[in-house]
Amino acid sequence: MTFDQPTAQEISFKQTDQTDRKIIENIQTGPKKLKITKPEKGKKIALIGWSIPTIEAMDQLKRPYVVVSLPEFNDYAKQHNIPFFAWDFNNELGYQQVYQQAKDLSEQLRALEVDHAIPLFEETVEWAGALNAYFRNEPRVFHHSILFRDKAMMKRRAHIGGLRVGVFEEGNQKEDVKQFFQRVNDSLLRHHGEDPDPVHIKALNKAGAAGHRMIRSVEDIDQKLSDDNFPCLMESHLDGIEVSCEAFIHQGKVLFLNITEYVVFGYSMMVPPSPDIEEYRSAIRNEVQKVVDAFDIEYGIIHPEFFITNDDEIYFGEVAYRIPGGHIFDLMQKAYQFNPYVGHILCSDPHTSTEELDGFFPQEDETNGHAGSFLVYPKKNFIQGVNIPDELEEHPGFDKHTLYKPMQAKVQDQEGYGNHLGTLFFHHEDHEQVKQPLTDYVDHDFFM
Amino acid sequence: MSLKVDTNQTEAFMQALDTLENAFPYAKKMYQSDLFQAAARVMDEEDGMKFLYQHADRFDESGIFEGGPWAEPSKLEPRLVAGSLMDSGMTSIVEILSELRMVAIAKGNYKHQNVSKEQAKEFLNEVMALNVDILFPEETEASRIEGKQKEKNRAERLFQFLADELTLAPISGKLLKEIDDLVAQRPIMVNRIVHMIKNSRSLLDKDIDEQDKRAIKRYVRAITCPTKKCQKYQEPCEYRKQLKEMSDKELEEEARTFAKSMRETGLVSKHHVVLVRYLNKHREKLLPEALRLTKKGKANAEQHADIVSKLITVAIHPPMRQALYGLACMLERGVLSSTPVIPGLKRLIELDLQPDVRKVLLNSINGNEGITANDIMMAGVISVLGQPLGVGQGMNPTCQTARGISLWSLHAPGYLLELIPRAARDGDVDVQFEGQRIHSKNLREGLVNDLHEELDPVSLILVPHLDRIYGELVRRSKFRGDDVHKWVNPAFYGDWIPRGFSSTIDPLTGSIADYPGFVRLFYATHHPEYNNGYELIYPNPVGIFITNSFGHMLGLHAVSIQRIAKDSNGKYRVYFYNPNNDSAQDWGQGITPTVTGHDEIPGESSLPFHEFAARLYAFHYNPYEQGDAYAVDNQFVEKVEKLAKESWGEKYTWVDL
Repeated sequence: MTFDQPTAQEISFKQTDQTDRKIIENIQTGPKKLKITKPEKGKKIALIGWSIPTIEAMDQLKRPYVVVSLPEFNDYAKQHNIPFFAWDFNNELGYQQVYQQAKDLSEQLRALEVDHAIPLFEETVEWAGALNAYFRNEPRVFHHSILFRDKAMMKRRAHIGGLRVGVFEEGNQKEDVKQFFQRVNDSLLRHHGEDPDPVHIKALNKAGAAGHRMIRSVEDIDQKLSDDNFPCLMESHLDGIEVSCEAFIHQGKVLFLNITEYVVFGYSMMVPPSPDIEEYRSAIRNEVQKVVDAFDIEYGIIHPEFFITNDDEIYFGEVAYRIPGGHIFDLMQKAYQFNPYVGHILCSDPHTSTEELDGFFPQEDETNGHAGSFLVYPKKNFIQGVNIPDELEEHPGFDKHTLYKPMQAKVQDQEGYGNHLGTLFFHHEDHEQVKQPLTDYVDHDFFM
Repeated sequence: MSLKVDTNQTEAFMQALDTLENAFPYAKKMYQSDLFQAAARVMDEEDGMKFLYQHADRFDESGIFEGGPWAEPSKLEPRLVAGSLMDSGMTSIVEILSELRMVAIAKGNYKHQNVSKEQAKEFLNEVMALNVDILFPEETEASRIEGKQKEKNRAERLFQFLADELTLAPISGKLLKEIDDLVAQRPIMVNRIVHMIKNSRSLLDKDIDEQDKRAIKRYVRAITCPTKKCQKYQEPCEYRKQLKEMSDKELEEEARTFAKSMRETGLVSKHHVVLVRYLNKHREKLLPEALRLTKKGKANAEQHADIVSKLITVAIHPPMRQALYGLACMLERGVLSSTPVIPGLKRLIELDLQPDVRKVLLNSINGNEGITANDIMMAGVISVLGQPLGVGQGMNPTCQTARGISLWSLHAPGYLLELIPRAARDGDVDVQFEGQRIHSKNLREGLVNDLHEELDPVSLILVPHLDRIYGELVRRSKFRGDDVHKWVNPAFYGDWIPRGFSSTIDPLTGSIADYPGFVRLFYATHHPEYNNGYELIYPNPVGIFITNSFGHMLGLHAVSIQRIAKDSNGKYRVYFYNPNNDSAQDWGQGITPTVTGHDEIPGESSLPFHEFAARLYAFHYNPYEQGDAYAVDNQFVEKVEKLAKESWGEKYTWVDL
């Protein structure tokens, strides 16, 4: 009779497992919390990116600042005495290269008495992160900023932080997408290619809809994707309404939460949202607070997007650490009658006092009607003039538009929804009077 | 004074104006759209323009125009106003506000450092003259169908306001000057002239100069009914019946009146055509009278009576009435005596046309007229042979091609009559280039993708082919280290082009190299006092810099030097053919080509020799007919160089060799 001797591997597993458990009991796991010093008081703030309303906000607040943006703005800045430092942000750079090049920039800015950087646009988030890492002498500040840029890293962090997310993976080639598509559909018991669930392919670090492709069949993978789409984030489909939020945060607390309704995705949005979305405000607020905690955010604004599914669950989509696009700030200004650009600066500056913040933000339930924006994209490659339907300006919800005959007839090549050439604004007490025109004009060609 | 405006709207406007005025200078643009929208709402009120005008002195200061093309009023061009006013975006609103600012300057309510009261008045008069149709709108079905009612209403309201604030008297003079200048060039296509004359009609019951009134009436008669009889019987069919009743004397009188009107204006009335067709059948003796032919013309018509009669039958119809003027000029040029011309014309009468050619020709008239595509082509050929300098490029960037058609009509009508059937029947045109044949049918793209079809019939047939060939020639001549036109022009236009070629733009660096040498060579080859008296025989295709009224460079353009001669003041001028048929242009620095008044042949533009030289960038010359470049006085060269450097030259790097 023989005993089965435990193998050496089994012995070693039991032992190492116990030691591992002991070790991690004594250390802190999970996200590394940022411990950072405040910028030096009285020093300048660097605005990373060119935004006239933000510059205006700085001047209104009388905070010392320097605008850091592309050399093409130099002349305009000089002409209007805007403190300006020209820097060529190269979009082709990898994150590590940004970090290296930002060292030089941080030194030059420090010479201009700058000690804090605020990003204004998606592509400047990592630059501001890198600068602040040098200013604070804490490299982790830079990596923290990448959380808001790398969509896979972002989703993973949200997932770990207890937010609901769809199933996702990073993909490097078409084969990965095929596998992901297959596996997701297998797990949904949608075999044999009949009526498969779609998956979404997104660029890892682009704003808005740029690089977004919806895959509805295996054939789509070959037809809709090229090498340019990789690496990418692959994501299962979430059914429901998409909303975007703008949360103003100071010292880790959400001081004001705006909810924006995407009326027609990519085209039009409304603030505040319709009553049936407004109902979710407190649930959304909970999720936003989760984002703030999970992402360890102390100051600034975040612009997260959520899906509210048919069974009332709220899923995290993504989050940006910058001013939202689509004129959302302008809509907030109209609907809540405060200047969100000023709010952005107040929240982004750790030195803002409670007195300054007291009474600055309006009550979330006290609004001046609903405000909506409709982005007008060119539908042709050559445009000669503007074509506005007569009834538009007669609509009770119509506020104003910004359509001019373009100086240049040729339209630049577009990525995603591309750049809009003008905007229609609506405003009315009744949300239906805003929502209806926001859906009406998707197929209208505003250009001739 | 109480204005009829909704105070809600005016308050919103005033608030927007205040906000804009108080904004940081760099942030003005952000608040402009609010102001424009508020202004648009005020404009739609009865006294809206007046209300806005009362604040026009604040517009500049508050930054309404900042950062846009309207910022500097001295740089605005009256010609562009109409287009902006009809744009349905915010553009039309800014344009209206800009006009109101101009009124404020004109009336002395607002002082602008770069625009004087007089200049502002001048500008507004010009704007009104160019837009008489908005000033005196006609409520027609067409204008309603065209849409843009909102913009039209606003524009009409603005012009009503302008008319109330300013006097209309100077407008008729401006408008007539425009018409006179266009008419003086005797273009083949007269749509624009006819349009302006129709518009000017509405000035007749206004308080304008009596002389202007008479001139307008004369033009109106020229395009409608120049004789008493046709005024009475306006229906062409009725008028024709009347002709049968007339005595020879009456017919002769009728013929003389029509001919006088046609000769004075270059415009042909429908009834004139009815008369000529009638005479052609029943009283051919009176035909020379109906065209008021010169002795030479008469001799030509008599010698070729058969073919002339046939041409009238085929080609002279009311919808193509302008061909009648072409016929008169053609007879006087004696083109029919050139051996290949008569058989060439006969061949065209029954030519089988390509379907697309037939379609484009028939599209050029209204239809339902009982006219064939061949008739239209014949009419076009007569016009081109009669008015070589009346060929225009229309709205197309095809100045080279127009220049070719004009040149062949002048000096090689047989060749032109060879090209037309090739294109119209065979759908192909071919030229020889350095031992190889280039066929247009094998080529895909030229300079134009979409031909703007407001063109004479010959251009409609030839331009698509010639344009592609020209493009191909350019492609084949690229990268040879010199301007492509050195090779392209002789191949494209033919052996009439001398082989010597000089360009002042260095092809490798794009800079201006040895400009004084370039100017000297031009004087030594073209100026009669330096070129040993060689006269220009064939038109010389040259390249010029086009500049706007501020002398700023707009682009390159092709014209032909037709001749160089002393004008009646004894000054040497360059007489050139400009295929864009535009009248009285202002090229800045006081350089304004004229189309009349300096012994120009209809269709020619002219400039003093040195002014033309100052816009020239490339020309051909005969190397065996060079004079002495060193003889050209330094001061002339310096004068030209100064004009060049201070205008288009600002866009270039200058290098001395």
